[in-house]
Amino acid sequence: MAACWLILMSGLLMLFQVNRSLRMILAISFCTMLVIGFLWDIIRKKRFYDEMEYNLSHIDQKYLVQEMISAPPFYEGTLFWQAMYECNKSMCEAVNDYKVSVEDFKNYVEMWVHEVKLPISSLELMLHNGEGISSAKYREQLRRLDQYTDQVLYYVRSGHTENDFLLQKIDLQKVIIKTALKYREDLLLHQIDFKMEHIGQTVMTDGKWLEFILGQIVWNSIKYQSETDSYICFFTEEDEQKVILNIYDNGIGIPESDQKHVFKKSFTGENGRKYAKSTGMGLYIVKKLCDNLGHRVEIQSEQGKYTNVRILFAKNDHFFREGTS
Amino acid sequence: MKKILIVEDDRAICEELKILLETAGYTADVLEDFEHSEAEILDSKADLVLLDINIPGLNGEMLLQRIRKKVEIPVIMVTSRTSEVDEVLSMSYGADDYITKPYNPTILLLRIAVVLKRTDQTLREEEEQYCGLCVNSARGVLSGENTEIVLTKNEMIIFQTLLHKRGQIVSRDELMTNLWDNHEFINDNALTVNISRLRGKLAKAGFPDAIETKKKQGYLLL
Repeated sequence: MAACWLILMSGLLMLFQVNRSLRMILAISFCTMLVIGFLWDIIRKKRFYDEMEYNLSHIDQKYLVQEMISAPPFYEGTLFWQAMYECNKSMCEAVNDYKVSVEDFKNYVEMWVHEVKLPISSLELMLHNGEGISSAKYREQLRRLDQYTDQVLYYVRSGHTENDFLLQKIDLQKVIIKTALKYREDLLLHQIDFKMEHIGQTVMTDGKWLEFILGQIVWNSIKYQSETDSYICFFTEEDEQKVILNIYDNGIGIPESDQKHVFKKSFTGENGRKYAKSTGMGLYIVKKLCDNLGHRVEIQSEQGKYTNVRILFAKNDHFFREGTS
Repeated sequence: MKKILIVEDDRAICEELKILLETAGYTADVLEDFEHSEAEILDSKADLVLLDINIPGLNGEMLLQRIRKKVEIPVIMVTSRTSEVDEVLSMSYGADDYITKPYNPTILLLRIAVVLKRTDQTLREEEEQYCGLCVNSARGVLSGENTEIVLTKNEMIIFQTLLHKRGQIVSRDELMTNLWDNHEFINDNALTVNISRLRGKLAKAGFPDAIETKKKQGYLLL
């Protein structure tokens, strides 16, 4: 800045052939102005950096430092100020995401504890009531307890930062049989027929996660079974791009108004409220797990008639990248 | 009598497992010395080891690797860790099977029986016999000199389960588990019906009292 003025003035001076002493005075004034200019610049920069250093060392929440001091008046300072603002903002947003997810988890645990105390209370009552209670009833409550422990485990695993799954070629039929064996007693107790069409396909997935997913779906079918002649049926469809596993039951179904919302967190909906058996987390976790694994999950239903849960396994990588819901 | 070694740090589970296995007709030993587990396992001369991955101070998978280097003893990993990674690792280190807690006891016994059968030299491929009848499960018949009894898939599964534990009581639970494992998802009534049909067929062929009912416990093949 000062240099420009100096050059301009020299130019003008030479132009106007002003007498020697005036030229001297002007030259000296400009040098002085230049020096003052530099000094002033240094002083105001130092003032800014000193203020910043002071505030940084005196506050605990250092990311708030920009609130404590005023913006720098010099150009490089502005660049720096802007950069600092953007870094802080993005970090704060990331931290906020974690805060929200911790809150969510706390809420989930509260709800979970409430649910898990139910089979525990049932068992206590049964033991108190003593003889005459068949062991099948005890086992039913124990299975409920086990269900809940699995659920919390998979809730944690479904978090978006968790990636501890292993994709392998899995024989669908084997996983379905495992699920059938696990729920055999519950199915028989509730007089639900288990049907499985011959399924020859293998899919790329995590076997343990899939077992849990199928378990949740079967559990729902049991909860919301029809009054008579209940059954659940596993069958597959296949085309060039995908294998679709269908889990069909002839239960009470889902009202049309609720169908869009079943995969949402803590969704209980009409059925849950009417039948009072739901934490609403089962399908939410199922959806999250499927999202992580790259499978699509859909639900079709007609109230009073049936529910069909469909899991779509892509045969190649690209299929589910487009149009993932 | 097959001997099974239990490697598990929870005492309550150890005790219950021991009872379960002994009731099922095995001899069960519990590993006491976790410091020298490898040596104790090799010395035990067990026919099968139930090994828990999560014993503190003991790396189950490393232990498995070291045992595998020395001996072919069948090992079933038993654990509360339910990840696919653990299972794949265990199997790659040489486990014969992998089962997660809490396991259905009937399924555990079923898996033990399967592993023992696989690794047992003597029971291989021989045609099973029952009172002079040859058991041909592929064709679904029991054939003898003058008789041939044709059984359905379910009846054959039930008959073979009873035959493998001939003289011992087999619970309805065990029969059901076996049937479901073979993709026959029948219910309680259907089981009862199948058993009476089986009895009927055996009776017609000259074995009227082959299957005895033990009230509240199960069935027994004489």
